[in-house]
Amino acid sequence: MTEKRYRKLDSTKQLEKIMTRYYVLSRHHRFWGKPINRPLAWVTSGAPVELLRSFDIHPVYPENYGAICGSRKASSQLCQVAENAGYSQDLCSYARSHIGSILRPDLAPMKGLPRPDLLITCGNICGTVLKWYEALARIFDVPLLIIDTPYLTGDMTNRAQDYVHTQLQDMVATLENITGRSYNQTKVEEAISFSKETISLWTDIRSLCKNTPSPLNAPDLFIHMAPIVVLRGTKQAVNYYKLLKAEVQQRVEQRESAINGEKIRLVWDNIAIWYNLYPFFKMFSERSACFVTDTYSGGWAMELEQGDPLESLAKTYTEIFLNRSAEFRAQQLINFVTDYNADGFVMHSNRSCKPYSLVQGVIRRKVMAETGVPGLLIEADMADQRVFAEEPTRNRVQAFLETVEAI
Amino acid sequence: MQYCLGVDIGSLTTKVVLVNEERNIVSWATKRSGYSGKEHAFKLIDTLLTEEDIPRDKVIKTIATGYGRITFPADREVSEITCQAKGVSHLFSQARTIIDIGGQDSKVIKILPGGKVIDFAMNDKCAAGTGRFLEVMANALEVEIDELGGLADKAQNTCSISSFCTVFAESEVISHVAAGASKQDIVAGVSYSVAERVAAMTAGIGLEPELVFTGGVARNGGVAKALSDHLSTDIKIPENPVITAALGAALIGIVS
Repeated sequence: MTEKRYRKLDSTKQLEKIMTRYYVLSRHHRFWGKPINRPLAWVTSGAPVELLRSFDIHPVYPENYGAICGSRKASSQLCQVAENAGYSQDLCSYARSHIGSILRPDLAPMKGLPRPDLLITCGNICGTVLKWYEALARIFDVPLLIIDTPYLTGDMTNRAQDYVHTQLQDMVATLENITGRSYNQTKVEEAISFSKETISLWTDIRSLCKNTPSPLNAPDLFIHMAPIVVLRGTKQAVNYYKLLKAEVQQRVEQRESAINGEKIRLVWDNIAIWYNLYPFFKMFSERSACFVTDTYSGGWAMELEQGDPLESLAKTYTEIFLNRSAEFRAQQLINFVTDYNADGFVMHSNRSCKPYSLVQGVIRRKVMAETGVPGLLIEADMADQRVFAEEPTRNRVQAFLETVEAI
Repeated sequence: MQYCLGVDIGSLTTKVVLVNEERNIVSWATKRSGYSGKEHAFKLIDTLLTEEDIPRDKVIKTIATGYGRITFPADREVSEITCQAKGVSHLFSQARTIIDIGGQDSKVIKILPGGKVIDFAMNDKCAAGTGRFLEVMANALEVEIDELGGLADKAQNTCSISSFCTVFAESEVISHVAAGASKQDIVAGVSYSVAERVAAMTAGIGLEPELVFTGGVARNGGVAKALSDHLSTDIKIPENPVITAALGAALIGIVS
């Protein structure tokens, strides 16, 4: 078997630079944020950050931090700290890693996240974030703002949109109080416009992977999605994705593939297995299988609606795929298989992420029946490596790829 | 005449099957894997070839499968799922679903005519529904594993074993013993528990007849009967249900 080397993108250097800058700025925020009244908020990944930016709030993402803990293999130890403090092992490993990092910063990457002035949680990605942030509010005794997005069993309804819109209006009033600033529609529109441009670039980059061979593999998508999460709504994100798009475009023009000798094209479903990112995908790339697209990094490619900023945010953030029915998600996967000309799909049944994982059995059967391609379900966890079993996973991956190759 | 060897190094047992170019089984042998399944496989191959008086250079391919496949110096290593499908399909051309219960895992495989795999499911990180589960229960009852089938046949009732966890299920067995339940009834409960677990996995990928039951546990009549009851279908069991993956491996050698 020939070695299939991972081809790192040149843009990774710039990615590391902007992410380091972001975390350094966050760390030192307390020196300048307080005097000029710019609070630091811990926010969930699906929160309408454009509104926060218009109030000069600096957002910090515990979920992104959870992924960092996972990548640096710090999660299991931090999870145990949280478990010893009474948090169940069945809770999300991002939540446990983060709570562990608060309890034992000496064990945590970057010694934990900088202290929040404010907490903002949005239920569109899961129910855990509500209780997680309630625990944080108790620990830090700071205001907690909650946006409740009703689960969409079908299409978006006016009632749901009005319900979320009203909450955003309330949030505006609260943020005016907290920051002492008035709502400035022009500033929200500016942040939305940066987000739109970022989303459009990210969508283009993802679409370039429809080419054969694909210029990117799943680890590329997972690594390079960081700015669209933490720098969403900023000019920096726009600049970064312009750079990345140019490089990916160049790979396509030169027919340069993400892996050597792409033979099998696959779709990935669920969050990455962070502590095992490269070794895991190597099991596929060494057998010439490339993940050409995924549902996870695609979650941030949702287009922002035109019109009144608050109405647009209400609609977009309620329509996030994790807040949608199994039928919607199955159709999304079917479209990926078809549009990207995939030979199969792999679902990570992620012990941490219940809303993402619980319906995968149903979705898997539907996608297999409608597309005729095989789907594999692998049990693991995004950050807690105690859940990952190497040999059984390798066994399944091999059997699955043999199925795709039709031995 | 040319030959191919299939070597299946499982967690409990190592199996070797020799087939000829006409795809017929010439001979086979099995041995407990122990510390080094690879060494046992070498010895089994030597014995087979000597007994059949076949020179080594007539063996054109050796295909390895099972947990020990990666360390065994074969021409090719193939997963047990693919091998199992090929082996069973060779013996039962109408087979569409395979339930394989081995030492440390249980699997359900859905196949097309000719043995192409279309879907599969395996137990995850848990010994429930495996041969190891039965071994632990046989130990707790102080009976040999091979006696389990016969005991289940004579049961009057079925003791309830509700825990999927092997350790907790063992405690349940001990509680039943303490409460004075008969060995037969407890064994019936244990068989039922394994069948329940595997039947749930089968439902997950959809059962299509014919159903073939393989692996060491297929020799246990109690589990086979419980499975047949659970799934409301007839079950075919190969004459030697342990060697089907090794057979499939050898057959892959013939075609590739």
